[in-house]
Amino acid sequence: MVFILGVNFPERNLVKKSLESFFGVGNLSSTRLLARFHIHPTCKVGELANKQVLDITAALSDMKIENDLRRQYLDNIKRLKETGTYRGRRHALGLPVRGQRTRTQTKTANKLNRMERRV
Amino acid sequence: MVSSFCWGCLTRLPPAPRAILPPTLTAQRVASFHSSAALLAPPAKKQNKPVGGKFRQGNSARMKKKKPVERTRPPAVGERKALRKRIILSNPNALEIPGMKEVSEETMVDARLRGSILGLPVPMLDQLRAVQAFKPKQGWSIFRRPGTVVRRETLELGRLIDGISGEGEDKGKVVKKIVTGDRSTGKTVHLLQAMSMAFTKKWVVVTVPEPQDLVTASTAYAPLSDENPNVYVQPEASAALLSRTVAANKQVLSGLTVSREHAGLLKSAVKAGTTLEDLAKMGIQDPAAAWNTFQALWTELNATSPAPGFEKNFKPRPPMLVTVDGIAHWMKESKYNNVDVKPIHAHDLVFVQHFLSLLKPGPSQSSLPNGGVLLYATSASNSPTVYALDVVLKQLAARQAGVSPSSPEFPQPDPYLNADKRVLATIDTSKPVAPKEGIPEIQTLGGLSREEARGFMEYFARSGLLRENITDAWVGEKWSLAGGGVVGELERLGRRLRVTAA
Repeated sequence: MVFILGVNFPERNLVKKSLESFFGVGNLSSTRLLARFHIHPTCKVGELANKQVLDITAALSDMKIENDLRRQYLDNIKRLKETGTYRGRRHALGLPVRGQRTRTQTKTANKLNRMERRV
Repeated sequence: MVSSFCWGCLTRLPPAPRAILPPTLTAQRVASFHSSAALLAPPAKKQNKPVGGKFRQGNSARMKKKKPVERTRPPAVGERKALRKRIILSNPNALEIPGMKEVSEETMVDARLRGSILGLPVPMLDQLRAVQAFKPKQGWSIFRRPGTVVRRETLELGRLIDGISGEGEDKGKVVKKIVTGDRSTGKTVHLLQAMSMAFTKKWVVVTVPEPQDLVTASTAYAPLSDENPNVYVQPEASAALLSRTVAANKQVLSGLTVSREHAGLLKSAVKAGTTLEDLAKMGIQDPAAAWNTFQALWTELNATSPAPGFEKNFKPRPPMLVTVDGIAHWMKESKYNNVDVKPIHAHDLVFVQHFLSLLKPGPSQSSLPNGGVLLYATSASNSPTVYALDVVLKQLAARQAGVSPSSPEFPQPDPYLNADKRVLATIDTSKPVAPKEGIPEIQTLGGLSREEARGFMEYFARSGLLRENITDAWVGEKWSLAGGGVVGELERLGRRLRVTAA
């Protein structure tokens, strides 16, 4: 088991996949991180050198990921609501925000646009 | 609630005549002539169930839930790959061929053996396995013991290797060849034959059996040093190269000792009496030092004289055979990324760089000062299309045919096709400094001749695989069917079991 940014990953997991398990790290950022520290894409977590683990952790802690990113996400929606914009209202009403029709098929908006949005 | 209606009165009503009553549900409609069977039969099942089931239940087609399938445990890690890469070199059901000759110092130069099959000596098989000379898809598993057909090119190679290790004028010569040819014309087996001859002559054999593995980004990489961050070293691959080399050349390397100091290695570990085998083993144990160790081993193997203080036990180094099987993968960008997430060119990998630099003439002395052969094969079945490499090979062929590079017939890259300049510069045919160093040549393997094909098919017949009368006419037919004696196609025809109608 290897600790990366406080999360324990089993050694057989791919490094790329493990990085992508963080909220806010996708294919692009994980590819960049791997390239930055010279880790090949098929590398397993167990094969990482100690220094590489520390480097990755340091790089991840500089990035806006996980709860910070979630908070920013919610703050953006909250700001829209508080300034009373149309988009904010639509968020609050649980309706599509970007001009989609509401006669049918608003499942996603119903699911996601709540007063307190879950991220 | 009690009904106001008296049941007693109702029962006393006279029964209505039977004919007037509507047929009740319970009454069975039966044929008048026979009633018992229908009456005794169990009540008929209701034909149409009301659709929809319970109240307001959807009546769309309902899928049956799949039962969870009992799965056995998947095979252990690496087991499937081991099975895929398994190499079987013997088939006890095949007949043993009496009087089959083996590769030896005499047979490798004997022109009378052309067209016959030379077996690989059993003690050498471990060495050949170590350098991964056998490939899984080759048909070694159908014969009693592995053997290869002696063709014209094999004899030429035998004479060459014999000359380089002999005492004649060819001693210490360096021959550089790029082996090309169509699919299954025996390029890889040609390399195998070269290795078997080199092992017979006690040469050092260094091979790269799968060049593709170095560029697919499946092994670790790191910048070589802070001074040159744009060149990359592959520690695991270097360690694997060392372990192949040590396993195959144990006997030769354990007899040679270190002849100088090496800057990249620990001074305490490398002393005057250290054998080259021990030197190489340090790199295998510590992949981080593998590349430096390989470089040290390389300088040692190419040493012509000892450094002062190391004269004791210095033995002249044997010639070397270097083979690479499938160079096209090294002629394009690799799958590795640099810091700016741009692909790294294969020529920036120091491993690749080292082996490709051998094709160029050495700066002050020959690229292999103790002599040897470089055999770099292309592959026809697993090779990326690299336009620049095609041009380079055409240029080599033209030069060999006597076309001068300044003549208009000399093949030039199309300026609109963006040929990779680094690839075009790989093969340098300028005059080498060292007198015994050759310029790269191209060797194109084609089909076997009819006589060689006959010897090859007789081998199948004598092994009990082929039940045919091997006549000239029959061989001629198969030779044509095999695209003019392409050896892989001949094998396909030979191993196909035929049952002749009685």
